[in-house]
Amino acid sequence: MGNAETATNTIGVQYYETRLGVYDEMVATEHKVLPYWERFIGALETMGSDEIGHRRREAQRLLRENGVTYNVYGGDEQKLARPWRLDPVPLLISSEEWLTIEAGLKQRAELLNLILKDIYGEQTLLKKGLLPAELVFGHNGFFHACVGTLPNHPKQLALYSANLVRGSKGRLWVLSDRTQAPSGSGYALENRTVMTRILADIFRETQVQRIGGFFKGLDKGLTTIARHNKDNPRIVVLTPGPFNETYFEHAYLASYLGYTLVQGDDLTVRDGYVWLKSLEGLQPVDVILRRLDDSFCDPLTLRSNSRLGITGLLEAVRRGNVVVANPLGSSVLENPGLLAFLPKLARYFLNEDLLLPSVASWWCGQSRERDFVLNNLDKLIIKQINRGQGNQTLYGSRLSSTDKDSLRAAIIAKPYLYVGQEQFSFSMVPSFIDHHIEPRNAVLRSFIVANGEDYQVMPGGLTRVARDKDDIVVSNQAGGISKDTWVLATEDDKPAGVTPQSSRNQFIDAVAEPLTSRAADHLFWVGRYLERIDGAARLLRTILLKYRDTQEFKEATDTHCLTVLLRSLTHVTATYPGFAKNGEKLLAAPETELFSLAKDSKRPGSLAANIQAFVQSAFSIRDLWSQDTWRSVDSIQHRWQQRVINNESAIEPLQSGLDELITGIVAFTGLTTESMTREASWLMLDSGRRLERALVLIALLRSTIALRHDQATQNQVLEAVLFSTDSLNIYLRRYRAFIQLPMLLELLLLDETHPRSVAYQLHQLSIHISLLPREHNKCQLSEEERLIIKAYTDLRLSNAADLLKDDGDEGIYKALDILLTDTTTLLWRVAEVIARAYFSHSQTSQLMTANNPPEDEL
Amino acid sequence: MKYRITHTTVYNYSQSVGLCQNEARLQPRDFWRQRCESSCFEITPIPVDFREFTDFFGNRVAYFAIQQPHKQLVVTAISEVALFPRPDITGLLKHLSWEQVRDKLQETPGQTANRYQNQSQLQIQGQSQSQDQTQDSGQEILEARYYVLDSPMITTSRELADYARPSFQPDRPLLDVVRDLMQRIYANFTYDPTFTTIATPLSEVLLHRRGVCQDFAHLAIGCLRSFGLAARYISGYVETLPEPGQQRLVGADASHAWFAVYLPGTGWVEFDPTNNKLPFDQHITLAWGRDFADVTPLKGIAYGGGQHMLSVSVDVLRLEQ
Repeated sequence: MGNAETATNTIGVQYYETRLGVYDEMVATEHKVLPYWERFIGALETMGSDEIGHRRREAQRLLRENGVTYNVYGGDEQKLARPWRLDPVPLLISSEEWLTIEAGLKQRAELLNLILKDIYGEQTLLKKGLLPAELVFGHNGFFHACVGTLPNHPKQLALYSANLVRGSKGRLWVLSDRTQAPSGSGYALENRTVMTRILADIFRETQVQRIGGFFKGLDKGLTTIARHNKDNPRIVVLTPGPFNETYFEHAYLASYLGYTLVQGDDLTVRDGYVWLKSLEGLQPVDVILRRLDDSFCDPLTLRSNSRLGITGLLEAVRRGNVVVANPLGSSVLENPGLLAFLPKLARYFLNEDLLLPSVASWWCGQSRERDFVLNNLDKLIIKQINRGQGNQTLYGSRLSSTDKDSLRAAIIAKPYLYVGQEQFSFSMVPSFIDHHIEPRNAVLRSFIVANGEDYQVMPGGLTRVARDKDDIVVSNQAGGISKDTWVLATEDDKPAGVTPQSSRNQFIDAVAEPLTSRAADHLFWVGRYLERIDGAARLLRTILLKYRDTQEFKEATDTHCLTVLLRSLTHVTATYPGFAKNGEKLLAAPETELFSLAKDSKRPGSLAANIQAFVQSAFSIRDLWSQDTWRSVDSIQHRWQQRVINNESAIEPLQSGLDELITGIVAFTGLTTESMTREASWLMLDSGRRLERALVLIALLRSTIALRHDQATQNQVLEAVLFSTDSLNIYLRRYRAFIQLPMLLELLLLDETHPRSVAYQLHQLSIHISLLPREHNKCQLSEEERLIIKAYTDLRLSNAADLLKDDGDEGIYKALDILLTDTTTLLWRVAEVIARAYFSHSQTSQLMTANNPPEDEL
Repeated sequence: MKYRITHTTVYNYSQSVGLCQNEARLQPRDFWRQRCESSCFEITPIPVDFREFTDFFGNRVAYFAIQQPHKQLVVTAISEVALFPRPDITGLLKHLSWEQVRDKLQETPGQTANRYQNQSQLQIQGQSQSQDQTQDSGQEILEARYYVLDSPMITTSRELADYARPSFQPDRPLLDVVRDLMQRIYANFTYDPTFTTIATPLSEVLLHRRGVCQDFAHLAIGCLRSFGLAARYISGYVETLPEPGQQRLVGADASHAWFAVYLPGTGWVEFDPTNNKLPFDQHITLAWGRDFADVTPLKGIAYGGGQHMLSVSVDVLRLEQ
């Protein structure tokens, strides 16, 4: 028995299966673990597969909680953000081998940098015939508008990434290059952060080179290329937005480096400069680290239907008023056809041979190469020089003969668009799959940055392995798994990046990061959704209690009260018609409607929909939240999904789900209250909360206590309203009496000291609004100030006795209802005016071109 | 021959525009048969930001931005241009065949230079001079090669090649081929301003045999590129003469478009398929590029504005003979 137990808990290194003729990272070509893997794999074996499995789960939990996602296009919205997957077994690279790789990557970065400069500068390579014109001009990354726009600094390519694979003889090759907006370095950093937590012991014992220095180099490099404010340039990260596949990384890098995360419409070009639209007005931008593809960057000169770019950006670049990294047009280097010319160009520019070879490639724009490719289709991989739009990589050996014929015809028609590449066997790396270590195909993405003086290589990178054993396609879209990459240090290597740059204590002027109008908009809505969830959750919880009473005691008063509360729920959540109008059928059997309001994310106003909207808004400004705050956002969604949405439709789990939801909201509120400075972002978040809490509370009061009920029902309704607003205890302690309407009104409507009263919300809102930055006339009140002061004052000038005056109306307390309605109207106007004054980024743009007018013939 | 061209574009918006950035290619460029003697803009509201530069193709571009709220934008370009009638091309009609031209465009610059050098050595010319010449022609051919490839609005296709094929008889001189092609387009296609917009794809034009000057220029260019030749799009104006006894109408003229084909050793030869003419002294050139998208006379992005109404008027006035 003991044997069986050990057998299930071994990680299976002794059974580790390698395939003939395939290089394996751990055992090379022989069946013996390489020396630099020994210690690591020994430690894993000691740990046992159960423990590794446990740590892998721990890693997934950390990644999910930190919001590390990779968005996958298509599918329904729920599944859009896929949690990042990390294998607990890293790829190990020995320190000796790393020296070769590092030198090769530096050389390649410099070479590509020189080619880029030439293509957008003198074009000597084209003139001398060292690069064929069709290879450059025929590539959709060549933008003629960018010729002559490169600024004059030595390292044009600020950030570069190469995908490396190892061939069967153990040699490393470059598979492809990423030069316009390379992604992955942030994921590599996050992987490392998680690995040092889950394998802390092993990581400590293994001498692993640190990767933090890479990001310092990036920051230094970007600071160096700024043209203005060189001491303290404003650097922004330009993202296509939360729907982009690597949005997590954009937000992560921005907050890690202390840059502002922006979308195209956060920026504007005026007077030939680029400005950030912030709550405090326009702020100049010096450097843009872009994660947006070339063609989308400027609708005026590049792709006119782009809604993601900045109109006039290229003009600002031409005038040298802003620097974009990497420069506009640098996707011209992402051309597999270029690989065939690099050895010659390395000799031309550097008088050196390429240290890292590229995968053998034949560009069909030359007749000899084209004929070779046509004659060897079976053995080759065929790529187009342009990426995207259905330009798939084709494996000649897998094509049917008709497909082969049409490919042949396409190559003959436009040969310069095609490249043949050697079909490549990737090396295998040990990976923890199910309960064992198994070999998988791997690609290493490495990262190189210009640090102001030189190219600097991240000692490590992002390793990705295929999901299935025989898969050779390694891609995140196809569900691949990532790995950390450990470059081992020699004993005398000092771990880089741990010594602080300055030993003296210095005072540095705090930089108030401007809040973009878009971020302000999202903060405001995070606050609003939060209160919508809170109000609905508390009322629903009250209803469930009352519902149980009616089931148990079957008393008429309970049923009357329940009816009032159910109708109120429809009003509070604005999910008409619901229980409100002609709702007798639903009122008789309310459960279906209640579960729909809890679970149906497609139904506007439901808890599920509001939670989704809350998380979306929060995700759009991921960079602004602390790690803990984000974890609380994630847990709100995660728990609701598990407890309620994925659960059976029964009262019990819904009740406990509501309890947890309310606790989750309190956690988020507490964390933000304790961690946010009382600046613009806080004002926006809390204004949204106060505004919405007032609106929700008023909706509740109007649909419950503003209506006249018989005495017995009223007693129950009053109690339910107090319970639902978390005010029952306060009431009982304060008034020590039977619950009565005038006192309740005082407490929930007029008491400025009670954080759940309408008066409190309006008071806070009026203070926040007076503190919001304003550009115009500071002597006069702004429109939003005027509106909130009116709402607040009207409320203060009223008193409970007048509001409850008997005016002969049988159904409602008219004066009260009028006050509540008027306040609602004013608050809606406040929301509109704030949106117009502060979130005006959403103005849409339109392209104007003259349609060719009819002309006269000669 | 001298002309004054007044080209006015008016945008009226239903709502206020807060910011609008534009690029105008409305100032005639200089080249061997044309000199622009003066050119100026009148723009209201007055742009806060205005700058002129030369684009990749050598065209004159004005970038300007209106940064204050406005409901109307008026852009007027006024230019005076002198034209120098070109020599007759009939002498060139017996020149290089289209296959020879196609092959020349496919040579790599290094090879071209060597071959020319050998020839010139045979002709016992001064070597330094011959190298200069080969470098010039190398540069010219390099530029021309950009015009062989597909461009934003023109993608070569089997359909275009099939239409063009009857003009491409073996060993036929290039200019003969192009003149024939121009005549066929003129004869086969109906001028119909109601049929196309700037967004109509070339395949539609080919299918329905209808279009305007821009479509015919794109069509001819697509045909030539389908056979490996270099062809470019020219945006400009053409002088219209009133019927005998009629008053000349101010502002009744319009933008025009035609094309040119590259003939090594000679340069770019222009053809106007809309009028079945070789541009002589009535065609005024604004700009050239691979297709309309490269040389859009006025392009802008406006923020806000709601609906917009556009009107354009062009006046080509002959100043002296």
